[in-house]
Amino acid sequence: MLSRRLTALLALSGLALAAPVAAEPWIYSDGAGQTVALDEVPQRIIASQDAAAGLIPLGIRPVGIYADGPIADAKALQGLDLSGIEIIGQAWGEVDIEKAAALEPDLVIAEYWPLDKAWSGGEKVEVALSYLAPITGVTQGASILTLIEDYEALAQSLGADLSAPQIAADKAEFSAALDAFKAAAAAKPDLTVLAVWAGADALYVAATAGSAELVDFKSWGLKLIDPEIADDRGYWETLSWENADKYQPDLIIVDNRSPTTIETARSQPTWTLMKAAAAGQVADWPAFWLRNYRHYALALNDLTTAIKAADAGLAP
Amino acid sequence: MSQEAAPHHRRRAAALGLGLLALSLALLAIIVLSMTTGARAIPLDTVWRALIAADPTATEHRIIWDLRLPRTLVGVMVGLALGLAGAVLQGATRNPLADPAILGIHSGAALFVVLGVAVLGLTQLSQYVWLAFAGAGAAMLVVYSVASLGREGATPIKLALAGAAITAVLQSIISAILLTSPRTLDEVRFWQVGSLAGRSMDIALQVCPFIAAGIVLALSVARLLDGLSMGEDVARALGQRVGLSRALAGLAAVILAGAATAAAGPIAFVGLTVPHVARAITGPSYRWILPYSMLMAPILLLGADIIGRVIAPPGEVQVGIVTAFLGAPFFIALVRRRKLAAL
Amino acid sequence: MTLAVEIETVSGVRLRQFRRRRAVLVGLAVALLVAFALALNLGDYPVPPGDVLRSLLSPLTGAVNKGVDFIVLQVRLPRAILAILSGAAFGLAGIIFQTLLRNPLASPDIIGIAHGASAAAVFCIIILGWSGLSVSLGALAGAVLTAIAIYLLAWRNGVTAYRVVLIGIGAAAMLGAVISYLFTRARLNEVQQALAWLVGSLNAARPGDAIVLAVALLILLPLLFGLVRALEALELGDDTATALGARVELTRLGLMLVAVSFAAFATAAVGPVGFVAFVSGPIARRLLDGAGRGFAQAALVGSLVMLVSDLVAQHALPSVQLPVGVVTGAFGALFLLWLLIASGRSGRVN
Repeated sequence: MLSRRLTALLALSGLALAAPVAAEPWIYSDGAGQTVALDEVPQRIIASQDAAAGLIPLGIRPVGIYADGPIADAKALQGLDLSGIEIIGQAWGEVDIEKAAALEPDLVIAEYWPLDKAWSGGEKVEVALSYLAPITGVTQGASILTLIEDYEALAQSLGADLSAPQIAADKAEFSAALDAFKAAAAAKPDLTVLAVWAGADALYVAATAGSAELVDFKSWGLKLIDPEIADDRGYWETLSWENADKYQPDLIIVDNRSPTTIETARSQPTWTLMKAAAAGQVADWPAFWLRNYRHYALALNDLTTAIKAADAGLAP
Repeated sequence: MSQEAAPHHRRRAAALGLGLLALSLALLAIIVLSMTTGARAIPLDTVWRALIAADPTATEHRIIWDLRLPRTLVGVMVGLALGLAGAVLQGATRNPLADPAILGIHSGAALFVVLGVAVLGLTQLSQYVWLAFAGAGAAMLVVYSVASLGREGATPIKLALAGAAITAVLQSIISAILLTSPRTLDEVRFWQVGSLAGRSMDIALQVCPFIAAGIVLALSVARLLDGLSMGEDVARALGQRVGLSRALAGLAAVILAGAATAAAGPIAFVGLTVPHVARAITGPSYRWILPYSMLMAPILLLGADIIGRVIAPPGEVQVGIVTAFLGAPFFIALVRRRKLAAL
Repeated sequence: MTLAVEIETVSGVRLRQFRRRRAVLVGLAVALLVAFALALNLGDYPVPPGDVLRSLLSPLTGAVNKGVDFIVLQVRLPRAILAILSGAAFGLAGIIFQTLLRNPLASPDIIGIAHGASAAAVFCIIILGWSGLSVSLGALAGAVLTAIAIYLLAWRNGVTAYRVVLIGIGAAAMLGAVISYLFTRARLNEVQQALAWLVGSLNAARPGDAIVLAVALLILLPLLFGLVRALEALELGDDTATALGARVELTRLGLMLVAVSFAAFATAAVGPVGFVAFVSGPIARRLLDGAGRGFAQAALVGSLVMLVSDLVAQHALPSVQLPVGVVTGAFGALFLLWLLIASGRSGRVN
């Protein structure tokens, strides 16, 4: 990750040193170890939904976006202005290659998932789009904040002006939210938190290390409970609903990618075996989809409110 | 049917009656096993105490009352309904392969549930029930009409193929919806496999009246099924209205299979296999086949569910998978054993 | 038309049947050509027809326009050719099964072989984490193994159509349960990936896929021609054919293997696209109206169904590109309905 940011910095410093008018070469190294070099800074970009969520708030507007499902359901794109952007895919693994070609992209920006060794959208999309333009992008890692900073570096290399008022305001809002979050977490050092996904078959308890925002929360002072065994590739521990009380947190945060998850949880009779659930100390976990300061600030504010309201003495 | 009952007939009836008693005891035993088996180890005496003197604050009592009891009840009801539906269908169509799964009932129910989730935004199992019910009925109607095309009517093989074909059509529509709506996919994939997990008392209560009505209707057509099994002409000569008998039996089967699918999702092979085993024990009279199927099917279903609960910890294998793996070999053996066309 | 006088003689009937076969063949070929031209010309990337032609010739004349050449030669052409080849393979697989098992509903997508391929592919995607070509190979193995298992299980002093069909349906139900189970054991995006494969799609068709399938067809077609003569004896019925002894059984097995291979290679290339195998034979036979077996016609019908379905899938909805399997599924539904109405009138199924 460090080397990638260094490369981006080198690219930037290269820009700064050279004559300002001439077309400059653009170089970026991604997490897959590939370096993309173009003769000039790419203008026409096709982005995956997550990359778009990272770049649009920084002023880089892609010409086309491909999503994993209906664009209206894409949590990461909520509240972003998508006007004038062509949607070239609304199902996992599908892109309209002709629409994509008609956009004449200079570059495709996706996210690299090192655990799966794959780009967002899967191999089929990667192969299809790689005929049109090189693919690059930031790498999923251990922190959403780092991810957003990577997007800043990428956006800046693409010509974004990060000092624009809206961007600065978003960042300031995030800083304030972060300070408040840290303060709230510090004020309740004994408050334990459990991150879960609820299915009709079982309750899934998230391992902190499997999710970048949970790693962030932990580093900012939140006391997250880590499951004893994370069976599903280190992401989750599967608990039968009979054992829903295996962990007793003070605050439960529930995966909010789908609005139905919390409803599924509430419909399980043993959901309230957890004292926090019985006491209503439940909040949203913005699982896996945060990509920009504005969304992160909103999510942190919600969590701060929940932490402040929670009774830290619930769990033994 | 002759009126005088020869002594050996009476003895046979007594033996079959004893058999019913034994099956009832076996069902009771498997219910107890179902109440005591689960991801959480709860001793037998705690289970007993929970049942006679429930303490709503005790965690283990809540698990017994909120999870295991509804699950067991739904299991008994679904098993009973599937076994009876299978037996009635086989009798009414004189078709040894008549089964809710093979007849496309499952995919009909699944399509309606998928539409409900995708279009209406339903999220809870208890909301699926009515849709599953309607879908099951509609699919069976279509399958039966397709299979009845042509002069020979709904022969076993035509019924099975029509069911498979309609299932394939419905499945591709379902896939199309699921493909464009990950939200629906995420909801439905746990329903589609056929499971008793997470069934609440509400669901048991919702489908209970249908299953009760289905049982009454099914048992009351037993005599008509016996008439049909002697052949349409004989039945007619005995003064039976063949069309009406078939319609009543079909109605009973749709109510039962629809209610079962609504409660537990699609569960294959129970309705197909149990009546064959029952017939092997009782002989051809539906007055015995129906009660035997009714008791044996819940034993099979709960047994399969218990196997599924313990076979792959910490998760569970859904009962629909276990019955498919128990049932498919049985089905294949059945097909290999003899010419099935005659029933 | 000097031969018209012979109209009621045997040779007259033969001639009429020959003319009918030829007319159907030519008609289908023309329709396919039109669909092919449409497939090359329609698309979100605007290319005038003249440029399409120039692009097609560009390997000889040199590149015209990089963007246009890419769309025509790398996107539309392989996609259309893959549709034609896989459609023909599905159509042949279907009509061979339907002829052998003497039942219009007995095509490989109904009697479990497609399910074998599907379960294997889903296993490869979800449990083994594979993608791309390795999934196709897994599906190929799954289809062949399932077919062999069904055949062996149906074997009891010979194989009857009846047992093959029913055991196939039993196997399909069990394999369907496997798929459902795997779906509950995976992360959502893996399930989506598996589902996308299951529906079958020509999106992202590459020239390589079409070449592999073309080679497979080149090997399989002569085998089919060789075995087809022996089929004539089979069609007289089981009882007469048993007189020919073990050779009949062997021919039957050979034909089934050829049919399975057609289905398996097509499935490996484009996924288990439903109903193409199922509808091609009956449609060809209706067009021929008794004037021949209709293998070649069924292959053309399969190609046409696949190509037209893909055109509909690409262009029916402005915002979404549907996978072709969704359209063929809907087409299958319509076909069943038509079968219902048509045979309701004539009193027979096929």
